[in-house]
Amino acid sequence: MRKYVVLFSIVIATSVLAYLTTYLEAIGLIGLDTRYLAKLFLTFAYNPLARELTAISPEAVTSIVWDFRGIDTFYETAVFYMAIIAALAIYRGIGYPSIQSEKGLSIIVRVVTKLLIPINIAIAVSIAAHGHLTPGGGFQAGAALAVISVLLAVVFSASSFTKVGISLSKAIALRTAGLLAIAAVVFIPVVFSAFTGVQAYLMQNQVKVDSAFAFPAYIQDQLISGTLIWFNLAEFLAVSFGFFVIFMLLSLREDVVKEQLGEDHGH
Amino acid sequence: MSMDITLVLLALFSAVGLVFTYLAVVERDLVKAVIFSAIQSTAYVAILYLLRAPDIVLVYLPVAVGLYPAAILFLIGKTEKVEEK
Repeated sequence: MRKYVVLFSIVIATSVLAYLTTYLEAIGLIGLDTRYLAKLFLTFAYNPLARELTAISPEAVTSIVWDFRGIDTFYETAVFYMAIIAALAIYRGIGYPSIQSEKGLSIIVRVVTKLLIPINIAIAVSIAAHGHLTPGGGFQAGAALAVISVLLAVVFSASSFTKVGISLSKAIALRTAGLLAIAAVVFIPVVFSAFTGVQAYLMQNQVKVDSAFAFPAYIQDQLISGTLIWFNLAEFLAVSFGFFVIFMLLSLREDVVKEQLGEDHGH
Repeated sequence: MSMDITLVLLALFSAVGLVFTYLAVVERDLVKAVIFSAIQSTAYVAILYLLRAPDIVLVYLPVAVGLYPAAILFLIGKTEKVEEK
């Protein structure tokens, strides 16, 4: 009886939502009309004729994420950074052993994974480096590269991290370097302003009405969209190695952790 | 015409997502539940693509199909495989 009530309520809820979104146009006509706000973003994402308003990137999402609402994204990155600090705090004092068990999955899975990993790296790098031109960006690329950490831990066992030359401290250093690079790009306009006296703002990308400062939008006719490519590459580093840290810690074997903590520590 | 096909595909993938969400909730074997959840995520990836959000597809696919199930599987490995009544 209860099952039917649940099913009935799901059907009713779905129908109401479908009716609201399609016939009543509660969220606008899907796919047929472009709303005013969207039109604004599409007009100014890439617009060389309005240099004071544009983010000079044909990728509207990256323009919004790293220019129009850039400080939001900076704090999102900071939240992710803090979350990993929490994980590191739980595992504090535990060294990453160079050799754990050597067991992995079968030879078939290993060979296929070995072939897939270079493809994965290539895709991740291209998502990051083309983030200002095509769908993608730093976080997307970081998540794509982080899948490798899972593959290494599950398919080749946790000791493979040491074999490919990634240690816990190296991963932490790389992700910190990513965050520092983002901070550097944020502060470059302010430092420039302090030295030259030209008006410039925090996290500024292109020229503004009262500021002549701008990051180069092109390198030899190749569009790099000012700050956007640097933010994407730095975020790629921060996110991918952040995930690496998490999965390196999660793949630690329980007995190894207990051995290092000693018996009297409840963990 | 192409709009109609999009709506039909949206309905189809939504139904697949709904079914696998239900299965993931009622399944007592947690490993199977994670797999059902990953299939549901795959259906959602298709929905997001049809709704013209390729940026979200790129982040949702590795997180929901790769990283999230992996994290949950690590946790299951450290606790118990079957949910008790």
